[in-house]
Amino acid sequence: MSSNIRQKVMRHLELCGQVQPALHEETHAPAPDQIDNAHFRAYTRMSHDVGGEPDVPIVWEEKEEEVWEHNTFVTCEVLAWRGVWNAEERRRRQNVDVGQTQYLGLPYYGRWLLTAARILVDKQYVTCSELSDKIDEVRKRYE
Amino acid sequence: MTDEHKPHAPAPMVDEVSEFEVLEIAVRELAIEKGLFTAEDHQRWTEYMHTLGPLPAARLVAKAWLDPEYKKLAVTDGVKASLEVGIDWVNSMPTKFGTPSDYCNLRVLEDTPTLHHVVVCTLCSCYPRPILGQSPEWYRTPNYRRRLVRWPRQVLAEFGLQLPEEVEVRVEDSNQKSRFIVLPVRPEGTEGWTEDQLAEIVTRDCLIGVALPRPGKTANDPRPVRPALKPYHH
Repeated sequence: MSSNIRQKVMRHLELCGQVQPALHEETHAPAPDQIDNAHFRAYTRMSHDVGGEPDVPIVWEEKEEEVWEHNTFVTCEVLAWRGVWNAEERRRRQNVDVGQTQYLGLPYYGRWLLTAARILVDKQYVTCSELSDKIDEVRKRYE
Repeated sequence: MTDEHKPHAPAPMVDEVSEFEVLEIAVRELAIEKGLFTAEDHQRWTEYMHTLGPLPAARLVAKAWLDPEYKKLAVTDGVKASLEVGIDWVNSMPTKFGTPSDYCNLRVLEDTPTLHHVVVCTLCSCYPRPILGQSPEWYRTPNYRRRLVRWPRQVLAEFGLQLPEEVEVRVEDSNQKSRFIVLPVRPEGTEGWTEDQLAEIVTRDCLIGVALPRPGKTANDPRPVRPALKPYHH
């Protein structure tokens, strides 16, 4: 990679790191003349496209699986088995549609889970009220 | 617990049910109540998950080391070669049309003394589950996905694999339609070994490409294990 391109990439990544949430930016929902192309590209970057981003070494860990993580994976696969969605749709929803804050902030299977809940509502298999009533009901079982 | 994880681990009390647990139960029960799938479907998929692990892929490698004809088949048609180690990428699953997320396109990447492969999925966490089981947590981290494609030798060194300059490192980026395993070079000191003996030293990490097989080493390198609050027992 030429140093010119490398500098461009680094500038892009640096900007990406600043834009979300952009609470320090003076203008929210700017007028068209207030946003340049570099910012447009930074805002529309897909948050899952992380290959090549700089990062520091971490301790490589194995991890025990939570019961809910296992169940979430199985639920997502079975929803696809029975035709509610397919893997491309699931991936787009859980890797792209969640946005950068949730993408980086939630556990891996947390994104799967959120997406499974949203697909039921988005495709009108359940209403928002049914979902929130069910969540309340389940929570009460543990009180 | 290491320091870098503290910001991400607000440590919910163990006796308190987490929002994740509540939402998981709610989603599963609603899907069943609405007839999207049955409790039995869920159970059958769980049982299928219990059958998975790295053993079939290890056996594929061992067979390829022993049989040049099979090796040819493995590198040209991984899916067909999988049949001989008991994995049918279409019919092994309850669906009978493969798993929804893994497709039926296994590529076997053959290492040579001057070429080493290692697998990543930069965009998500694609992994050949049907023949290798569930991916390890580190494979799914943004960190591994970010850095392996740019600093492969350094990342491999962190896994304890120091490759000499003359060995080319090729990083294979998985995508939604392809799955990869590495076929390492058969190590010295394994002359006359049986398929079972050989399969034992082909660990999961060797099949991803972050380790090399060697006689006497039958497990992944020891690493810290992050315990679950409520572990799922396979």
